[in-house]
Amino acid sequence: MEAAEGEEGLLLTQRLRAAVHYMACGLCQEVAEDKGMEFSKQAMAPIAEITFRQCKNFAKDLEMFTRHAKQSTITTEDVKLLARRSSSYITQKSDEITSSDHIHRGKK
Amino acid sequence: RPLSKERRSGQKQVHSHENWSLSPEEFEIWDRLYRIKESDGVKEPVLPQSHFETLENLEDISEHEEEATHKLSLSEWSIWQNRPFPTFMVDHSDRCYNFISVMEMIELLRNEQGDCSYELEIQPHLRIEDVHVQRNKSHLSVANSA
Repeated sequence: MEAAEGEEGLLLTQRLRAAVHYMACGLCQEVAEDKGMEFSKQAMAPIAEITFRQCKNFAKDLEMFTRHAKQSTITTEDVKLLARRSSSYITQKSDEITSSDHIHRGKK
Repeated sequence: RPLSKERRSGQKQVHSHENWSLSPEEFEIWDRLYRIKESDGVKEPVLPQSHFETLENLEDISEHEEEATHKLSLSEWSIWQNRPFPTFMVDHSDRCYNFISVMEMIELLRNEQGDCSYELEIQPHLRIEDVHVQRNKSHLSVANSA
């Protein structure tokens, strides 16, 4: 997929990777402070890369869920489906957002 | 071998009963050939339950006798996991290949000291407008050198 986008796509992918890496390291740092421990750079890099690749998984799934519902816009309902196998934290969070922002899935 | 012969005859009878449960004959075969008993000296295999370190865990954690079971591990053979394993009927998924790639990456980073090659490779691509800059900028070496 990356190769098909050519040189420009590859640069964009790396830019995105760099941003994800930066943010992931920040989050790791918070966890490290919280737990009174440290992450090596070699530990944070795979966490960042896993996050980056997990975004691809999420994106593909979200697209399929939306298409399955015969929609073209991804909504919070699709995001909830990503977490269907685990606890309902996402559902709670999404309900909070929905009630505050009044986001609704378009009818039919 | 008598064993496989028995198994095949067991399968043949599947068509003759429509119940969801085992027929008495099937039960007898299961009980004799497959069922784990105390006398077998093997622990009952169980899958690890999912647990989220950073969330309230809503799923009930059933307390089973840890001693009597063999918890199946998804990490004890991690050094084998940086290459695709053989497949039979089902191909590896994208998720699976992502996993393999990251295991390979970890293998390459394992012996590194100090600077991280992954970081050095992607750091030049960082655009500060893409990220949410934290209050405490000095916490990251990436931020320091960027």
